Amino acid sequence: MSAAAGSTRSFGEFVARAHRAGELVVQPRMGVSSPKAMRDGLLATKQANATTVGTITLDSYTRMGDDETARAALASGADLNGYPIVAHDVATTRAVLDGVAGADFPVQVRHGSPCPEDIFRALMAAGMHATEGGPASYCLPYSRTPLCTSIQHWVRSCALLARLRETGIEPHLETFGGCMLGQLCPPSLLIALSVLECLFFRQHGLRSVSLSYAQQTNADQDREAVRALHRLAAERLPDVDSHVVIYAYMGVYPRTSDGAARLLTEAARLAVQGGAARLIVKTAAEAYRIPTFAENVEALETAAAAAAAERRAPLVGEVEDTGIYAEAKALVDAVVDLDPDLGTALATAFRSGYLDIPYCLHPDNAGRTRSYLDGTGWLRWSRLGSLPIGHLVRPTGSTELTATGLLASLSYVEHKFDDASLDEYLKGARPMAQIHDTGTARRPLPGSPGEHLSSPVTRTVLTIQHRILTAARDFLCGQGFIELLAPLIGPVTDPGARGAKQVDVDYYGHRYKLMTSAILYKQASLTAFEKIFFIAPCVRLEPLETASTSRHLAEFHQIDVEVAGASREHIMELAEQLVGHVVQEVLAHPRGALERLGRDPSVFADLLTQSFERRSHADAVSDLRAMGHPQNPDAEIDWAGEAILSRKASKPFFITDYPKGSRGFYDRESLDRPGYLRNFDLIAPEGYGELASGSEREHDYGTIIARIRETGENPAKYGWYLQMVRDGIPASAGFGIGLERLTRYLAGLDSVWQASAYPKIPGVVAP
Amino acid sequence: MDLATEESPGDARRAAVPVRRHPGTPDTPYGPSLSVVVTTVASDAHTWNLVFLQLVLEELGHRVVNLGACVPDELLVAQCLGTRPDLVVVSSVNGHGFHDGLRLIGRIRACPELADTRVVIGGKLGINGVGGRECRDQLRAAGFDAIFEEGTGILEFRSFAKQLTMSVST
Repeated sequence: MSAAAGSTRSFGEFVARAHRAGELVVQPRMGVSSPKAMRDGLLATKQANATTVGTITLDSYTRMGDDETARAALASGADLNGYPIVAHDVATTRAVLDGVAGADFPVQVRHGSPCPEDIFRALMAAGMHATEGGPASYCLPYSRTPLCTSIQHWVRSCALLARLRETGIEPHLETFGGCMLGQLCPPSLLIALSVLECLFFRQHGLRSVSLSYAQQTNADQDREAVRALHRLAAERLPDVDSHVVIYAYMGVYPRTSDGAARLLTEAARLAVQGGAARLIVKTAAEAYRIPTFAENVEALETAAAAAAAERRAPLVGEVEDTGIYAEAKALVDAVVDLDPDLGTALATAFRSGYLDIPYCLHPDNAGRTRSYLDGTGWLRWSRLGSLPIGHLVRPTGSTELTATGLLASLSYVEHKFDDASLDEYLKGARPMAQIHDTGTARRPLPGSPGEHLSSPVTRTVLTIQHRILTAARDFLCGQGFIELLAPLIGPVTDPGARGAKQVDVDYYGHRYKLMTSAILYKQASLTAFEKIFFIAPCVRLEPLETASTSRHLAEFHQIDVEVAGASREHIMELAEQLVGHVVQEVLAHPRGALERLGRDPSVFADLLTQSFERRSHADAVSDLRAMGHPQNPDAEIDWAGEAILSRKASKPFFITDYPKGSRGFYDRESLDRPGYLRNFDLIAPEGYGELASGSEREHDYGTIIARIRETGENPAKYGWYLQMVRDGIPASAGFGIGLERLTRYLAGLDSVWQASAYPKIPGVVAP
Repeated sequence: MDLATEESPGDARRAAVPVRRHPGTPDTPYGPSLSVVVTTVASDAHTWNLVFLQLVLEELGHRVVNLGACVPDELLVAQCLGTRPDLVVVSSVNGHGFHDGLRLIGRIRACPELADTRVVIGGKLGINGVGGRECRDQLRAAGFDAIFEEGTGILEFRSFAKQLTMSVST
C-alpha cells in the first residue's frame, strides 16, 4: 500500500506525489492468462511493503495481434505467457480490477506491440489509462513490421489514448526507448530515443509521459546517463508531466539468487541517485522462468528497501560528465531538424542512419553501428555508421566484437554479479547452497552415445585427451618410468575414496572389488621397478548428489605415478613438471583445438612460467576462515572451500599436510609433526577444483596395521598387501591425476562428463 | 546463453550432394566460402542468437544474410529460391522451434529447387527445454540435415560451425 495515495485519476500524478514524498515507486512485470490469478497478482503487488503500481503484462499472441489464437488457447484451458486483454471481454477485465485498481493503486498495461490500437481500446474500456511502448522501441527490436507502419499505428493509438483527457482523466504513456534490445546499446542513443518518443507522444496529444532508461553494465555510466536524461527531458519537455523510470537490467540475468538481488539493489540505488521516480524490478527467478507472485513481491520489497537505504545514506561525489549528454542532445537535435512531424523525422532518421541501433536486425534499421564493453563495463561505440555524433566520439574500430566477445559482453553482468555474490559468501553473509543451488539444476546431460560420440565437441575433447595421454607417457617414459597395466579387480581396493560405494564382483565365490584406485598395486609394483605408472580405470559409485557437481564421474581414469625412495617434495615437483609438459604439448598439437572449443590458451600463461604455489592445509583453512568460510580444520577442504580457493587462483596450486584421519592409511604421517600427513592435493584454478592427490607412503608394517585399525577396518582383508609389506616394500611417494578432470580443465569444459567417451554420471544410467 | 548443442549426423543422401562453388568466391581455411541464410521461425522475436550465429559464420569466412526476427515461412522460402544459399541456419529460442520448424522445413522441401539445400535447426526447440530423441528424429525425418538442441552451451556451437564448414564443403 502506498503512503502517497490520493484522489488522483492520473498515473503520472500518483508517481509525482510519491516522488515528492521521497518514495521510489516500484513496479513488477507480471501477467497471467487467468483473470483470477491476474487479480491475485495485482493484490499481491498492492499489498507489498513498498510504494507500488500494478502491471498487467500481455501475452505474445495479443502482442502480435493474433487474438484468435489467444481466444482458442483460453477456450482450451491452455496457459498463455501473459494476460490476453483483447480476448477477454471487458467485464472480465473490469472484474479483475474492481476494488484493486484505483487512485491509490494505478495499474499499467505493458505489451510490446507495434500496432497497439486494439490493446489501447481494450484497456481504456476496462477503465485503465496508463500503458507504454513507442513507434520505434516496440517495432525495431521485436518485430518485422515496417517502421512506417508502426509509426502510423502509434499516431492513431496516441490519439485514442489522448481522447481520455476529454473525460477528465490524464492518460499516461511511457516510452520503451530506454531499452532497445536490452543490451549493448550505448546510453546516449537510449536517452535520445526516450526523449524522441516522448516528443512524439506529446505531438499526438499526450500530456503525461515517462522516459525510460534500462540499467546497463557500468554504474558510473548509468548515473551520468540518468542525469543526462533528466536534463534533456527538462529542456525538451518542459510543458508536460514527466518522470524517469529505470528498468532493472534487461539482459542476461545473474544465475545466483544473491547475484540477482545485488543487481536489483544496484538498480534501486541508480534510480535514487539519478532522481528517477519509478523502478521496474526483476526477480532472481528471471534467469530460469516466469517468476511467481511471491518472488515478484520479494523483488519489490528488496528494491524499496535498497532505495530507502540509499536515500538515508546518499552517495557523495560528483558524477563526471564524459559527454553522454552532448551525444544524446546531438542525436535529438539532428532528428527533430529532419521534419516538424516527429513520425516522419523518426522514419527519416532510421532510413538515413541518424538513428541506428547496434546489432538490431530489423530491415528498417541501417545496421551500420557497433558497440562493445571496455574493461570496466563501460559501453562504447566501435562503429558510428551515419550517427551525427562523429564530432563528439572517436570510435575504436579495432575493438569490434567477435562472436566470442559478443557472448562475453552479453554475459558480463551475469558474471560480474555472480562473482560478487561469491565474495558476499566469503564475508559470511550468504550460505554457499544459496549461491549454487540455481546453477546446477539446468546442467545438461549427454545425449545418446551416438550423438555424444559424433558431436564435434566430443571429438575435439577426446583428441585433446589423446594428446594429454601421449604427452604424459612421453614425459614419464623419458624419465625412465615403466608403464604397467593396472588390475581391474582384487580382493580389496583403496578405502580412501570417501563417500563412494565400492562395487562387488563375484570371483569364483570370493567377493572381489572393482578398483576405486590402484594405490595398493602401485606400492606393490615397486618391488619390480623403481618408477612405474598406470593409466588406471577406477570405479566409484559416488553419492547421487555429486551428479550435479560437474566434476564427478562414477567411472574415470587416473594417471597413477609411484616412485621408490622419493620424498613428497620430489613427487610434487614431478607432478608440476608433468602438468606443465602436458599443457605445452596440448597447446602445440593439435594446433587450434583449444580455440575451437572457445578455450583461450593465454589462461595457461602463469602455469607455464611460474612455479605452483604450495600452501599447507592449516594455512588454507585459516585463509578460508578469515574469509568467513566455516572450514573444519580437521577435515579435507570441503567442496565449497575448494571452489573458493580454486576460483581465486590463476594457476594450479598444492595444498599439503592434511590432518591425519582425513585420508587413507597409506598416506605417511609426518615424523616432525605428528597428526599431519606427508601428502598433498593439486588444485586447478578457475573453479575447476581438485586435479590430483598424492603422498609419501607408509611402508612400515606395524604402523600400517595401526593406521588400518584407527580407521575402524579389519587388517585381515588386506592380507596379500600386508604380506608384501611384511616382506618389505620400498619407501615411496606417488600421485594420481584424474585424467578426465585434467582434460576438463585444459579444454575449459562445463562438466567433466564431456571429457569421457562413455560418461557415467553418478546415478545416471548410461552405456 | 545456450544456443545449440549436439550435432546430429546429417542425412547421408543429402550429404552426398556436392555444394555448388560460386565462381570467384574466396576460400576459408576449411573450404570454400559459403552463402548462408541465418533465420528464425515466424513466432520468435529473439535476435541475439541470430547476431551471434552471423558473427560465428562470418569469422569463418562465409557470407551471411541475416533475416532477423519473426521470419514468415514464405519470406524464407522466397529468399532461398531467389539466392539459392549453400546453407540455411534456423535458430529459435522461444520454445516454438519444434512445431514451427516442422512446418517450415515442409514448405522448403516442397520446392523441388530446394530439395537438396542444406538446412539445419537449433536452439531451445521445445517449451520444456530439450525435446529429446523423438523430436530430433521427427525433425530429421521432415528434412532437416542436422539438429542442435540447447544443452552444453556455446562451445558446442562454435565447434559445430567449423565442423559444418568442413563437412559442407568437402
